[in-house]
Amino acid sequence: MGSPANEPASRLDPPASGAIDGPCLDFALTRLVQLLTEGDAAAALLEARRVRVSGADGSLQVVKALEAAMDGMSAKCTAEEFNLLEIMLAGRAATLVAHDLFPEGALPSPRGTVVIATPEGDVHDLGKNLTRMVLTSKGFRVVDCGKDCPLAVMVQAVAREEAFALLVSGLISPVVPLVRQLRGLLRECGLAPVRLVAGGAALKQCTAEALNVDFVAGDAFDTVRYLEALRP
Amino acid sequence: MNGLERILATVRHGQPDRVPIVPQVFGHAARLGGVPLRRYLTDATVLAQCQLDAWRDYGTDAMFGLFDACVETEALGSGMRYPEDGYPDVERFILEQPGDVAQLRIPDPGRAGRMPVALEALRRLRQEGQDQAMVAGCVLGPMTLACQLMGIEKTLFAAVDETPAFERMLDFAVEVALAYGSAQLKAGAHLCIVFDPSASPAVVPLAFFRELLMPRLRRLCQGLKDAGALATWLHIAGPAEPILPLYPACGVDIACIDYCVDPGRARALAPGLCLTGNVRPLAFVDSEPAAIAESCAQILGIARMGGFMLSSGCELPVEARPECVRALTSAALAEV
Repeated sequence: MGSPANEPASRLDPPASGAIDGPCLDFALTRLVQLLTEGDAAAALLEARRVRVSGADGSLQVVKALEAAMDGMSAKCTAEEFNLLEIMLAGRAATLVAHDLFPEGALPSPRGTVVIATPEGDVHDLGKNLTRMVLTSKGFRVVDCGKDCPLAVMVQAVAREEAFALLVSGLISPVVPLVRQLRGLLRECGLAPVRLVAGGAALKQCTAEALNVDFVAGDAFDTVRYLEALRP
Repeated sequence: MNGLERILATVRHGQPDRVPIVPQVFGHAARLGGVPLRRYLTDATVLAQCQLDAWRDYGTDAMFGLFDACVETEALGSGMRYPEDGYPDVERFILEQPGDVAQLRIPDPGRAGRMPVALEALRRLRQEGQDQAMVAGCVLGPMTLACQLMGIEKTLFAAVDETPAFERMLDFAVEVALAYGSAQLKAGAHLCIVFDPSASPAVVPLAFFRELLMPRLRRLCQGLKDAGALATWLHIAGPAEPILPLYPACGVDIACIDYCVDPGRARALAPGLCLTGNVRPLAFVDSEPAAIAESCAQILGIARMGGFMLSSGCELPVEARPECVRALTSAALAEV
C-alpha cells in the first residue's frame, strides 16, 4: 500500500464516474477503515460504495475493510482505551455498510454460528448488542436470543442453529447462578462440546471455573479473540 | 467518635479514631430483613427499618436512603416493571427523542412517583439515627439520568448525532437532581450521593467527560452544597482512573472507586479526595470471609494514610452473605 497522505489530492480523488483503481483504491480502503473506526457512518457508506464499484472484488474489499476496522478497535481495547460510545459508533457504521452490501441477508459468516443472550432477570443488553455487532463484522453468524432470556430458549437456539458457542452477557449479580446451570443444560441436550463464554459487568467479576464456563471475556473484543482462536 | 463524626473527619483529611466502614448496603438491607425488594423500595417505613437494622447489625457508619436507578425516570413518567424481589426496570422510556425533553417539567419531589418514599425514609433515618451515623440520599448524575430517560443506546447515539438536544437533556437532568437532592437534604439527608455510572470511562471517552459532563457535575455539586450537603460524593463505577484527577474541579469531596481501580494509584492521582472502596462486590457472594478480610487488609494499607473509607467497590449484591459483610467490618475494627 502506498502512502496516501503524500499523494497529490488530484490523484487521490476518484474519477467523476465513481470508479476507482490502483493507488486511489488503496487510499479509499485506508480511508474506509479510518471512517469505520471513527464511527462516521454516512461517510463510511459513501466510501464503501466507491470501493464496491472499483472492480470485480470490490465487495470483498469492503468486507475486508470491515474486519480491519474491527481489528483496529480490538487493538485499541487491548490498550485499555475501551469505551462503549466509540465502539458503538464504529459498530453502527459497520452495520450500515454491511446492510448496504448485503441488503437481503447477513454478511458472509465463514467462521460459523454463535448464539448470544442476556439471561432471564437481566434487561441490560447494550453489551450483548455491541458484541453481536462486532462478531458479525468479523465473519461470525450471530443468533441473538435477546434480553431477559430463559436458559431453555438459549439452549434450544444452540441446538436449532447448530451453534459452536453460546455467549451470555450479564450486568447484575442475580444472573450468576443461572449461568452456572448452562453447562449442565447443554450436556443434557447432547451439546457438551459447545463452548460457553460469559461477559458483562457482573459476570466478569467471576472466574471461568466459578461460572462453569470455558471463558470469561473482559469486553467484546476479548470474546472475538477467543472465538477467532477457535475458528481462525 | 460516632459514625457521622468519623466520616466527616475523614472527608476533611483529619484524624478519625478508625477508618470509616461504609459498605454500600442498599437493597441488601431488604434481604437481611427478610423483606421482598419491591416492598422495601415502595414503603418508607420498611426501608427505614431495614436500613436501621442493617446499620445496627453490621456496625457501619452510614445508612442509605432509597437506592435504585429508576426513581427519577419513574417520577418523570417512564413506564416501569417491578419484579417481586428485584430492582425495577424501565419498560417504556419517557423520551422518544432528545428534543422531547423540552416537554418535560421538573417533578415535585413531594408528590412524584417514589420520591416521597425516599424523602420519608430519609426523615425517619435521620430521626432514628440521631446523628450517630451519616444518612446518605442519592440522586442520579446527569449522564445516567439522561440514559434513564431515553435508554442508554439511543442516548449515546444522540450525544453524537444531536449534540445540542442531548446537552439540553443533560441540563434538564441537573435541574431534576438539584430539585430532588435539595428535597432529600431538607428531609434529613446529610448528603446526597451523585450516582453516575454511565459517566464511566468504560462508557464515554475522557474528552466527552471533560467537555460535556464536568461542567454539569460542577453545577450539581455546588448546588447540593448550597442546599446544605455536608459534602459531595460522586459514584462512577468501572475504570475511573482517567477521570479521578478531574473530580476536585467538579467540586467532589468523596469518590467511590470500583474494584478494578488500584487504591494506591487512585490515592496518587487524586490526593485531595476522600476515597471509598473497593472490595470486589461479587466477592461478598462467591468468596469466604477470610478472602474478604485479606482484601480489606490490602485496602487498609492505603486507608491508614487517611482520607479513605472502607467499602465495597460498588453496591453490595442483594444476595451478599452477611458473614462476608461482617468480615469487612471486623477488618476495620481490628485496626483500632
